[in-house]
Amino acid sequence: MMTVGAQVKQALASLKGAQADLESFALSTQNKQAKQMYTEAAQQTQAIVNNLQQRVTELENEEPQYKGF
Amino acid sequence: MPDWLNILLRSLGALAYLFILTKIIGKRQIKQLTLIEYIVGITIGSIAAFMATEMDGPIAHSLIAMGVFAIVPVLMEWLTLKSKVLRDFFEGKSTILIKEGKILEDNLKKERLTAEDLLEQLRLKNVFRVADVEFAMMETNGELSVLLKSEKQPVTPQQLELTVSPAEESQVVIMDGVIMDEPLATAGYNRRWVRTQLQKAGVALENVFLGQVDKSGELYLDLYDDKIQVPAPQAMKRTFATLKKCQADLELFALATKSEQAKQTYQRDAEQLQQVIDQVKPFLIR
Repeated sequence: MMTVGAQVKQALASLKGAQADLESFALSTQNKQAKQMYTEAAQQTQAIVNNLQQRVTELENEEPQYKGF
Repeated sequence: MPDWLNILLRSLGALAYLFILTKIIGKRQIKQLTLIEYIVGITIGSIAAFMATEMDGPIAHSLIAMGVFAIVPVLMEWLTLKSKVLRDFFEGKSTILIKEGKILEDNLKKERLTAEDLLEQLRLKNVFRVADVEFAMMETNGELSVLLKSEKQPVTPQQLELTVSPAEESQVVIMDGVIMDEPLATAGYNRRWVRTQLQKAGVALENVFLGQVDKSGELYLDLYDDKIQVPAPQAMKRTFATLKKCQADLELFALATKSEQAKQTYQRDAEQLQQVIDQVKPFLIR
């Protein structure tokens, strides 16, 4: 059974990966419209990643026994 | 000179001359025959045949005649470029055959078309019901153009209010196991990129019959060995799935958490991620 903290951490890791994918798509596409769209999506996703990161820190402070998961 | 040699030389000469003349007339000759080009095509052919087989007359006569038939249409084309009246006269006018869904019998008669001819032409355009046609026109080259009634036309993404990824031309970068440098440069990639992609797919360059890259950087491969399964590019689909999973997770966390502030952040983030997903969907899934 995963704790909430571990679940949030896992989601954070996946989202970081997806965010990096979006950035790499933005770099690799030659189409301007697609490039702009990917860049925006990557930025928006980055904001969510930051929020999740913050939440993970909060959870770690609340449940110190899970720190480092 | 024996007759057979004479004919051989004449034939070769006629062929070469004919080739040069057709070059002058231009490539329109091949596909869209206007009235005059149709006449010229037939006549030049028969003069060339005459030149090749008839050994009585001097060759020059045939050459002159063919020259006239080749040059005059070029001149006329030049004239028709200048004048609309001449254009209509030489190239003929297109005729409306169906207007507002009704067949114009008089125009049909003018083009000496029977109902069967019209139906056949419509069928060639994949139209099997006259009732579906709003407008049809017989073009000057004898082809029928058909405009379907708007409710019978294929749906476009715009009508469905769908966002679609931009149309992209693709470049053939590998052909017969050889990397094509020019299209590769046009697509904005280099040989090293191709090698990396091939390595990713686990395929040897010699085994690739055709490799085509689109603007998003996905490489489609067709191999000589059809038994080998090339993995379709999955990166974009995987990213999309990850985004969707994260979005679902965020909603789940919003439900699960007891902290009111965290709940709000989760909800807001879930909504924002949903927006991102809607935005990238047409680009990642296609």
